[in-house]
Amino acid sequence: MKKLKKALAAVLAAAMVMSVSPVTSMAAFDDTLNFGCYVYSTSFDPAAYQNAAWQGVRWGITECLFKFNDDMSVEPLLCDTYEVSDDKMTWTFHIREGVQFSNGDACDAQAVADSLNRLFYVCANSDDYSSTPAGYIDMASIEADTDANTVTIVTNTAVADLTATLCFPFYSIIDVYGDTTDAEHEGGYATSVIATGPYALSSFDATTKSGTMVANEYYWKEEVPYGTVNVTFIEDDSTKAMSLMSGLIDLTENVTTSSDLATLEASDAYYVSQSSSLRSGFAYINMDGILGNDTLRQAIRMAIDSTTMCEITVGGMYTAGVGILPSSLIYEDEDLDNPYAYDLEAAVALLDEAGIVDTDGDGVRELDGENINLNYITYNNRCLSDFAAAIQSTLSQYLGIGVSVNSTDSDTEWMLMQSGEYDLCDSNWTTVGTGDPTAFLLNWYGGTDGSNFYSTENPDGTNYCNYDSDEFDALYEQFIASTDTDERNALVVEMEQVLVNDCAVLLHGYYNSTMISNASKVTGAEIATFDYYWLSTDIKPAE
Amino acid sequence: MSKKQLGGRLLQIVIVLVGISFLTFALTYLAPGDPVRSMYAVNGTIPSEAVLEATREEMGLNDPLLVQYWNWLTGCLHGDFGTSYSLKTPVLTLLSSRLLPTLKLALLSLLMMLVIAVPLGMISAVYRGSVADYIIRGYTFLGVSMPNFWVGLLLAYYIGMKLGWLPVISIGTGIKPMILPALTLAFPMSAKYARQVRTAVLEELNQDYVSGARARGIKESRILWRHVFPNSLLPLITMLGLSLGSLLGGTAVVEVIFSYPGLGSLAVSAISSMDYPLIQGYVLWIALIYMVVNLVVDLSYNLVDPRMKKNTPSLNRGSKRNAPSGAVGAGQS
Amino acid sequence: MRKNLEFLKKHKAFTVFALLAIALALVAIFAPYIAPYDPYEAILTDALQAPSSTHWFGTDKLGRDLFSRVIYGSRISLSSALILVACIFVVGSVLGILAGYFGGWVDAVIMRIADMMISFPGMVLAIAIAGILGASITNAVIAITAVSWTKYARLARSLVLKIKNCDYIAAARVTGSTTPHILYTYLFPNVMPTLMVTAFTDIGSMMLELAGLSFLGFGAQAPQAEWGLMLSEGRSYMQAAPWMMLYPGLAILVTVVIFNLLGDSLRDVLDPRDE
Repeated sequence: MKKLKKALAAVLAAAMVMSVSPVTSMAAFDDTLNFGCYVYSTSFDPAAYQNAAWQGVRWGITECLFKFNDDMSVEPLLCDTYEVSDDKMTWTFHIREGVQFSNGDACDAQAVADSLNRLFYVCANSDDYSSTPAGYIDMASIEADTDANTVTIVTNTAVADLTATLCFPFYSIIDVYGDTTDAEHEGGYATSVIATGPYALSSFDATTKSGTMVANEYYWKEEVPYGTVNVTFIEDDSTKAMSLMSGLIDLTENVTTSSDLATLEASDAYYVSQSSSLRSGFAYINMDGILGNDTLRQAIRMAIDSTTMCEITVGGMYTAGVGILPSSLIYEDEDLDNPYAYDLEAAVALLDEAGIVDTDGDGVRELDGENINLNYITYNNRCLSDFAAAIQSTLSQYLGIGVSVNSTDSDTEWMLMQSGEYDLCDSNWTTVGTGDPTAFLLNWYGGTDGSNFYSTENPDGTNYCNYDSDEFDALYEQFIASTDTDERNALVVEMEQVLVNDCAVLLHGYYNSTMISNASKVTGAEIATFDYYWLSTDIKPAE
Repeated sequence: MSKKQLGGRLLQIVIVLVGISFLTFALTYLAPGDPVRSMYAVNGTIPSEAVLEATREEMGLNDPLLVQYWNWLTGCLHGDFGTSYSLKTPVLTLLSSRLLPTLKLALLSLLMMLVIAVPLGMISAVYRGSVADYIIRGYTFLGVSMPNFWVGLLLAYYIGMKLGWLPVISIGTGIKPMILPALTLAFPMSAKYARQVRTAVLEELNQDYVSGARARGIKESRILWRHVFPNSLLPLITMLGLSLGSLLGGTAVVEVIFSYPGLGSLAVSAISSMDYPLIQGYVLWIALIYMVVNLVVDLSYNLVDPRMKKNTPSLNRGSKRNAPSGAVGAGQS
Repeated sequence: MRKNLEFLKKHKAFTVFALLAIALALVAIFAPYIAPYDPYEAILTDALQAPSSTHWFGTDKLGRDLFSRVIYGSRISLSSALILVACIFVVGSVLGILAGYFGGWVDAVIMRIADMMISFPGMVLAIAIAGILGASITNAVIAITAVSWTKYARLARSLVLKIKNCDYIAAARVTGSTTPHILYTYLFPNVMPTLMVTAFTDIGSMMLELAGLSFLGFGAQAPQAEWGLMLSEGRSYMQAAPWMMLYPGLAILVTVVIFNLLGDSLRDVLDPRDE
């Protein structure tokens, strides 16, 4: 109770300061940024679900203990120094002195520990929270030493580098007032999240998915460049471009209609920052369905001209490649060999030879007496549905394989994927979210006794496609056990090769993310390789 | 309208509301897909079948249709329309936050429509058979034959992008972002109303008193402005109410094109994401608004009616369901 | 034959529009011979080409020939609109005739449902029904039928009520004609003409509603060549490829104009009083 009163007092004080300060000292905060973007979540609580955690970081509201640089190196953020025990199981993080939440409360070791404990607690104990912090950190305990201002995290297994994992948005720090269980906090922190980032959420409308942020005047690092940031949800990529060009917004992210992007790039009035990202676009293949047939998969892989699709259909928004991980990463993927490179004639011949032919003359080949009709689910994001349309046309036209495209929203697609109601499922996933592909490659890992195959009885499983390869599993287990970087990297390439050989996934390409700004109004708007980071203090009003 | 008639109308409203909401409810009940799974899917994960089953039980989704409907209906009577699956917000909050923008849009488009339709209709009737008449009739023909989403796209492309005069999406406050969507809605409606005005004025001009007045040497302009126009335009006022009702429900396409944050775009996204409580709430609300507006219109018609009985035999007085319903539908499609 | 010719001569407007409508139908029927390309043939490298002598209307994002797609689009758009009007016509008139002829509880039930539907903006319910049933052109037809039959039911009912008590029907009843016989021999022929005219004039607006549902994603599905859907696809490329939203829209406009004019002139033919 006492704590609560104290907190209330602090909030009140902060509110008073805030309400007075515009008159007194906020001259530098006059500027307003209008940011139009896709809004993936109506919550900002890192414990709520993955997109909510990401959104807090993307909008510059929440921060983690560490931050990824574009080259995948890790930079200290709320933590300035740390120590690790020899067994790599006890990690002690010193919290940067003087960091404050946007309400003026100190973000000290106790606050950090409370925030992380609350995260692990609610995610493990309540169905309302679906973030999976335990998926990346096998946590034993998190304790604060208030005198030393350090947080000690003890894990159950050795971790190669916990700092990289702590960059992941799940582990962003919010002010929980010592409320580690969330029991006292009715309604959770969905839109009332208080954190340490440069901007603080002042209003958010769940129905329009748009909101307003104000500068966090307690920001620890530097002066915040904008007093107000209006964030507007824009669903459609072309609309993003039009809004930017008509001056409604100053900044936007990921315009993926190639023609619009070309227009923007051609004009001096706009600055387009483009970077290869950590994302791969691909169709996940359900091995339990008709695509369990090896020949069929191989033929499909050979029939699809990914290079043309990447360069023309989606206008360079993707870069074609062989392995499932982006070639811009450190893994030596030039070693990869593609036995099923694009070759339409060979694809047709392969099917003909295997007896997968059209016997009833309806233009569609049959397998086991039934017309092949693939159920392809996709959603309208990052050009995925364009790939789906192009693949649908290619397969039906040149290969005689029927494809029904079901274009839905991301949530529904995810649900269909989990319930196995698909043959191909378009995805655009971050591959090395915690600094390495440990989590990403789990999507093809079967596990001992099939423990990683997802089903409603095994909801913790993350292999949703029933790809079952002993070779892949063995390599993955070796990878997990190893702490030697070179060996790990080599194993990753080997795993990629296994997936290529098995045609276990239909890669579209590696996604290039963009951030586009109105050059006369905004400067420093660069897109980060890790797209957890959108709004940073580098984005400033142009002189 | 007597008290008894009013009571009858109110009863009818209640019956229709119950009927229409039951229909929607039954549809969502029979629809494929599992609302509980979609609900969890929003969080990016689906729990085990046991948890799903428990949630279904908790939410009463395993009850028979009638029990579920009854629970929902009694909830509605207490102001509880349920919680949106996809937005995790009470349906009532969502609908009420979107009502005002749609209402504003509808009113603005009605205003624009009047500004366009009334002069056109009058000119075309008074100068019947002239070039102007033919041009205006061409316009009205185009108006009813053009898909309104195409009109919206053309306006967005030419006025919004090529000329850069108005925003192509409805961001921000003030009237500017509303102009293009309102114009899109007003265009087909103005065509229908211009026709209506033309017919009404023509019929009025055929009345005996007009030729009588002419015979008495009263100036033509005086006849038109003092008698013909007021008499023929008054009934339009009541039709406006009806159009407002259908506009509230019929703005979906336009709201989607211009990303306008109104009821229609909310409904479309609710339907795409199988957000049943939101769909049910939306349908019930629209039905309620539509019928209340109808009732108010009829009541006001009663006030105007006695004075009009003499002069406007042609305008289907009292039978709003027939002729004016063409104009009623203006906001739809 | 001569009589027909005279009729056509007398009603020039009707003749012209009827010929135009027939021409549209011929375009749909002979689409494969008119369209220069396969409307579904995607040549990815030819994407988003501006209109030219090889591609009259340009190409879309997958390099499909837009002219061919617009031509083929008439097949889906015309046939679905005609089927839709037929559905509404059949459902509405049958229910209306039954309600009018039998009266009593049959009448009460049918007309109360019709009342309910009419006191509600139809498009809202149509969107809801189409969305819940799942997006497809068939479901869009079902959805619009479900909300539009009431108009025909009311009309048919009122027509039946008018003639129900005429002497010749009473006479038929007395002489022992069966109910189906009376319905078939006396009521249908009397009710049909007015209903048919109404149906004709509705083709245009029904086409607009169907295209609207497709535009919203509740009707035809990719890669179908349907005008509403093509417009929706063109919307994202408005900036770079405006032809993608121009030509399908024009196609809808032309078709709807022809059918509306045909409907109007048909009404003039049958009811010369109305100008």
